[in-house]
Amino acid sequence: MKLELGYIYIKDIQFGETSKVENGIIYVNKDELKSIILEDQNLKSVEFDLAKPGESVRITPVKDVIEPRVKVEGPGGIFPGMLSKVETVGSGKTNVLKGAAVVTTGKIVGFQEGIIDMTGPGAEYTPFSKLNNLVMICEPIDGLKQPEHEKALRFAGYKAAAYLGELAKNITPDETETFETLSVTEGMKAYPELPRVAYVLMLQTQGLLHDTYVYGVDAKRIISTLIYPTEIMDGAIVSGNCVSACDKNTTYHHLNNPVIHDLFEQHGKTLNFVGVIITNENVYLADKERSSNWSSKLAEFLGVDGVIISQEGFGNPDTDLIMNCKKIEAKGIKTVIITDEYAGRDGSSQSLADADVSANAVVTGGNANEVINLPKLDKVIGHINYVDIIAGGFDGSLHEDGSITVELQVITGATNEMGFNKLSAR
Amino acid sequence: MVKEIERAGIPVVHMCTVVPISLTVGANRIVPTIAIPHPLGNPALTHEEEKTLRRGLVERALKALETEVTGQTVFEEK
Repeated sequence: MKLELGYIYIKDIQFGETSKVENGIIYVNKDELKSIILEDQNLKSVEFDLAKPGESVRITPVKDVIEPRVKVEGPGGIFPGMLSKVETVGSGKTNVLKGAAVVTTGKIVGFQEGIIDMTGPGAEYTPFSKLNNLVMICEPIDGLKQPEHEKALRFAGYKAAAYLGELAKNITPDETETFETLSVTEGMKAYPELPRVAYVLMLQTQGLLHDTYVYGVDAKRIISTLIYPTEIMDGAIVSGNCVSACDKNTTYHHLNNPVIHDLFEQHGKTLNFVGVIITNENVYLADKERSSNWSSKLAEFLGVDGVIISQEGFGNPDTDLIMNCKKIEAKGIKTVIITDEYAGRDGSSQSLADADVSANAVVTGGNANEVINLPKLDKVIGHINYVDIIAGGFDGSLHEDGSITVELQVITGATNEMGFNKLSAR
Repeated sequence: MVKEIERAGIPVVHMCTVVPISLTVGANRIVPTIAIPHPLGNPALTHEEEKTLRRGLVERALKALETEVTGQTVFEEK
């Protein structure tokens, strides 16, 4: 399966009379987009705002971040099984508005998650401070239940991203990049001397605001399975996931999964990137056992030499991570795990809730308990008064002068376990 | 918590869903429970069924507390 991504570099986003992309600038007709979003009868209102790199803006509580993309050639459409029909995606051509994103915010439950600062120390920790963001503030109709509210908000984000993506359908990209995955047998013939490597992508699947969807299926109901990496670039996996925002994969992370990009970078040079195994992180022990049995079985079945495993979230998913690691190692396949740490504010506590001697190659996204002071910013998009009660916030987090003291946990993507970030202790 | 209370000489039964974590942290008597968001209940059951389920779990935990163990022991449902 072969996909060409066409990057259209975006340097600014503005509201305008006609929605279009011109000379690297996205113009958005607010009224037109609003009427599309409000077709959902569960939404009462939607407001749009813009947040650009360097501005004194804090966005909170963030639900999802989505990169606008559009299918230009090949079967299917972006977000198959959600917005588009369940056609198999991942081949042909897809255009990407690189440097832009849709950010959804809104109050759904008592605990509200996720801060994106566009400037200051907080901005260093989130990749989304570097993007030109269209921020959506959606309000549900009265009396709407939480799961329906979450769904309405999630779909509003997909629709807005697809709307912006569509503007780029007929634009010639500034740059293109091609990704190809051969069949297992073709790959072995093409690269007989290279080590064969698969990627085990763990998906958080623990209920409201902790869910992930694959081709429209709630991933807590899947058995571990195989997927082409380019299907993920076309939005086959989307996020419904934002609690403890630092290590949750937004839809943007899935579309731009750095493990996949780096494995493709080395594909045919130092290794043979065979494909992706997706597995879930459920709340029942039997599910954890079954899913990790299955991911190890698939790794064995593919006959790979090595596997990279990325976790999503922390706490009980540490057990899913360790089960995947030790069961795959037990098959004689080497593993590297990517995780993050909850090692206490001084960093001296045990980092993971579970452990095993076979987990002897570990990459960390950082310590989510690290405390950070975020100064007052001029403008807040969303609701700042939730900061005292979000995961990573604490009573007294929000100071009278508008500054906040919080754990890194609150910052969207701060300790991402796909290794999305650039900060390093080195 | 489990280890600190046992260190004071009082036996402890750890009722939990993710048994592997309990084994990793070193609990000696472990009773597996239902699910992470509802360890001692099951919202899919009727109130009567749930009461039976809860009573069964508590009785199993009490039984575990009375049982001499020589190492880490998981008290599975019989």
